[in-house]
Amino acid sequence: MKSAFILSAAALIFSASNALAHDEQALQVSPPGAPYIQVSDALPLPEFIPGLGTLFVDPASLPAGPFLAYDHDGRLSATIYMTPLEDLQNGTSFDDLGVGSHTVSSVDIYYNAGHPGVDKPHAHVVLFHDEDAKSRLAE
Amino acid sequence: MIRARRRFLMVGGGVIATLGFPRAPRAAQVETVEMKGTARGEHVWFAPTGLAVSPGTTVRFINRDPGNSHTATAYHPDIFDRQRRIPAGAAPWDSGFLLPNESFEVTLTAPGVYDYYCLPHEMVGMAGRVVVGHPGIPGWEGPARNSGDPGSDVLAGLPSVEEIIAQGRIVGEGT
Repeated sequence: MKSAFILSAAALIFSASNALAHDEQALQVSPPGAPYIQVSDALPLPEFIPGLGTLFVDPASLPAGPFLAYDHDGRLSATIYMTPLEDLQNGTSFDDLGVGSHTVSSVDIYYNAGHPGVDKPHAHVVLFHDEDAKSRLAE
Repeated sequence: MIRARRRFLMVGGGVIATLGFPRAPRAAQVETVEMKGTARGEHVWFAPTGLAVSPGTTVRFINRDPGNSHTATAYHPDIFDRQRRIPAGAAPWDSGFLLPNESFEVTLTAPGVYDYYCLPHEMVGMAGRVVVGHPGIPGWEGPARNSGDPGSDVLAGLPSVEEIIAQGRIVGEGT
């Protein structure tokens, strides 16, 4: 009986956490709600970062993310992952990461030297969710 | 929220010398060092990387990188327990994180070589050097010896004292 309860609880927790990353409707408009927090509230970074927008992240998911990127109107425009190169070289993989939206129009991948929150040199993997998203996040 | 500009007066020991500066006794009493970065953050740097000034000059660090925050932090045991790379008579400084267009000022009085770095970007070589006065003036203290802190990759990016004095201002690539 006790083990059945534990299994049920575990299943519930799993489905809940899974939904946090994949409940598209809940994430479409800023703010996305718990467990996501606005990056600029927790770290010394601009509220709107040119090229990335206004970022939200679940602190437990650092450093990889997903980071949810919103435009000036609070519309989810991209999902971003930040993967330290050193971690990748040392064999760390970042698997089964959530996405803010299942619609992806294009992907950009590029190097970043580091910033508060993800200090090590890392790759930015940017999934844009519509064709106009990049321009809305540009500045 | 924009933080107010912070100012730190650095009181150095030794005699202040304003005459006999070989090449670059820059007339202005305030010199600016910009913190810069490429649009996607691939490269970050101080501009200039090397700067020669007269004793008593105020150096103003300003973040011109719209997508990142930076610090100007002196190498000193009192700040993150680093090896001292500023004159013994000088007080260390740490700007704290500067958001875009925020600035921080420090007045450098003690003659000698001041090395500093950006806290989140030191590992990619973001460091700089200010030379105050020149060798031979009273109180002069040359560059610190390499003891392994910081690493040789960071030190390799710093211009030599001779280059800085000769040119006055050394701007690295990307600027």
